Amino acid sequence: MFTTQLLDVVTTAGVLYIVALGLLIVYGVLKIINLAHGAFLAVGAYAGVVTTRLGWNPWTALLLAFVIGVALAALVEWRILRGLYERPLDTILATWGLNIIVVQLITLYFGREIHFAESPIGRAVTVSGVTYSEYRLVLLALAVVLGVVVWLVMQQTQIGIVARAVIMNEELAQALGINTRLVRFVTFCLGAGLAALAGTLLTPLISVHPNLGVPWLISAFMLVLVAGVSLANLALAALVLGGAQVLVSSYGNPVLGSLTIVILAVIILRFRTITI
Amino acid sequence: MRERWTDHRARSLATLLVVLMTAMVPAGAVQSQDKKPIVIAVPVGLSGVNSVVAPAVVQSGELAVEEINAKGGVLGRKLQLVPLDDESGPAGAVKAFNTAIHQHKADTIITMETSAARNAGAPIAERAKTLFIYTSFYEGRACGKTLFVNAWVPEQVVPPLVKFMTDEKKVKKWFAVGSDYAFGRGMIEAAKNTIKGAGGTILGEEYQPLQQSDWTAIISKIRAANPDGIIYSTSGGGPNIDFMKQFKAAGLKMPVGSLSIDELTAEAGGNAAEGVYYTGDYFTGLDNPENKKFLDAMKKKFGAGLKTPNSLSEPEYDGVYAYAMAVEKAGTTDVDKLVQTLPTIVFKGPRGQVQMNKQHHAPLPVYLAQVQADGKTKVLKSFGLVDPGNQCPNLK
Repeated sequence: MFTTQLLDVVTTAGVLYIVALGLLIVYGVLKIINLAHGAFLAVGAYAGVVTTRLGWNPWTALLLAFVIGVALAALVEWRILRGLYERPLDTILATWGLNIIVVQLITLYFGREIHFAESPIGRAVTVSGVTYSEYRLVLLALAVVLGVVVWLVMQQTQIGIVARAVIMNEELAQALGINTRLVRFVTFCLGAGLAALAGTLLTPLISVHPNLGVPWLISAFMLVLVAGVSLANLALAALVLGGAQVLVSSYGNPVLGSLTIVILAVIILRFRTITI
Repeated sequence: MRERWTDHRARSLATLLVVLMTAMVPAGAVQSQDKKPIVIAVPVGLSGVNSVVAPAVVQSGELAVEEINAKGGVLGRKLQLVPLDDESGPAGAVKAFNTAIHQHKADTIITMETSAARNAGAPIAERAKTLFIYTSFYEGRACGKTLFVNAWVPEQVVPPLVKFMTDEKKVKKWFAVGSDYAFGRGMIEAAKNTIKGAGGTILGEEYQPLQQSDWTAIISKIRAANPDGIIYSTSGGGPNIDFMKQFKAAGLKMPVGSLSIDELTAEAGGNAAEGVYYTGDYFTGLDNPENKKFLDAMKKKFGAGLKTPNSLSEPEYDGVYAYAMAVEKAGTTDVDKLVQTLPTIVFKGPRGQVQMNKQHHAPLPVYLAQVQADGKTKVLKSFGLVDPGNQCPNLK
């Protein structure tokens, strides 16, 4: 029982981390909460549906999802968001509107009913005497890999250094000749691409329908509010909040468990000052 | 002068028109009285949560109306189907029922709706003395003088499933799982009663919030309890697949009985629900001549636009037929007469024999089915006619 719960906690944290990563990156650099995050998750999930229909290998859905996510984000940033950075409140409306539009477009084409996406892994494996879902363990590993890759990009590459400069002080960065417009563009595309990727990764766990992103958006939003702009904080928040959710669901019941993330987020925000 | 002349001429023309029209009215009225169609309103969730299934409901009704009209209609009058959007909820149902009754002068309402929509619409139909045949399975005990139900209630599908799993799959220790809403909890409650009656024990009972799609904690509890079998009732559609995907991926292998899955969902889930047992009154795979005829006619009428008939949509077909037969037998669309006649009508349709003679509910043919590896549903056996029990003791 203990091993199972430990695995439940860490894999749930892994899933939450993957889902929230794109939202955090966009929030960090652009200082906007991308409420279309849920729609990008759905786009990724439907990329899985499309590859299944075409009979492709399920893993190719990841690439397809990332490409579509980035392409869609590029269009949106270029035509809509770019004009709104001076009005942060309006971006909430714009991104939520975008969420509705994307979800409705998916509904128009695929319908509201659920769809099938092939899972790359559906087996269970035995870990120290406990039978456990192999795919959840793979997700945990992927969360770690994604986290390390994004961290390396931020620390070691030119674009990362520039992005961090924009995060710390945008006016100063601009004054130093950094093209903040390009930084915003690339970051938004990357964040949306990661969201679509996360959507594809969710399909072996959940059924695919147009509104699948909404509950995940809410959890991701809470995590990002608590974590601020730090990747390490996000991992910690996913572990604490996701872990608490699993434990409350296990020892109490899932109805209380579903409240845990929200309640804990409120409590943490009460005692912690957010610094952007 | 010229203007006054025009004015005068226009006025006499108008008078002439009025006279002509008045002269035509009696003839026209008599004609329309004779051939006025019998209006069947179908307030259904064309938008909202029911929008996945609603088009199939309308198609079932359209086929029944077309077939009956092709044979000359009822009492020499044609049937006319009027689909309306109840937005899958009570507010929309109030609008749709009022539109049906006051604007379309509906003779009857025959439809599948959410329980909330039915509860809002039924009193409107009752006040307006409009016959209302409800064609959706539901939690039971909705009663009204003009309300009839031709689909299942939990008493008809839960006990056969539990008994099958107890007897054939040797399930003694159970784990019950549901979505946290009235229908999910009601179905699990009914299952628990049957399990206790059959001498089984319930090791655990867990409910998942509707918006939560991660079943990890519940699956770990199931594993820890190690039951012989699972009985579950989520909300319709996706959550069935969410649960089964995660259940399978966790390596759990005990038999699963579902009170919420349906053919379309099982098929959309691919292999996720493979092996799941469930009961119902209609499956496309039912092997009887009426069902074959029904499916062929549906394919012919709707072609590529056909929405696969299912247990929520097929009873609309039966409902329209039962109403038409009752009107034919009673010789009138008068509601008081029809309330007396409808329980005597036996319609042998795709599901089998349906007669709404038990307190405005129907004993129904119930079947056991299992989801196959490709997601398709296979009918394993028939339980014969299953009685709905005491749904409305105050009605005959």
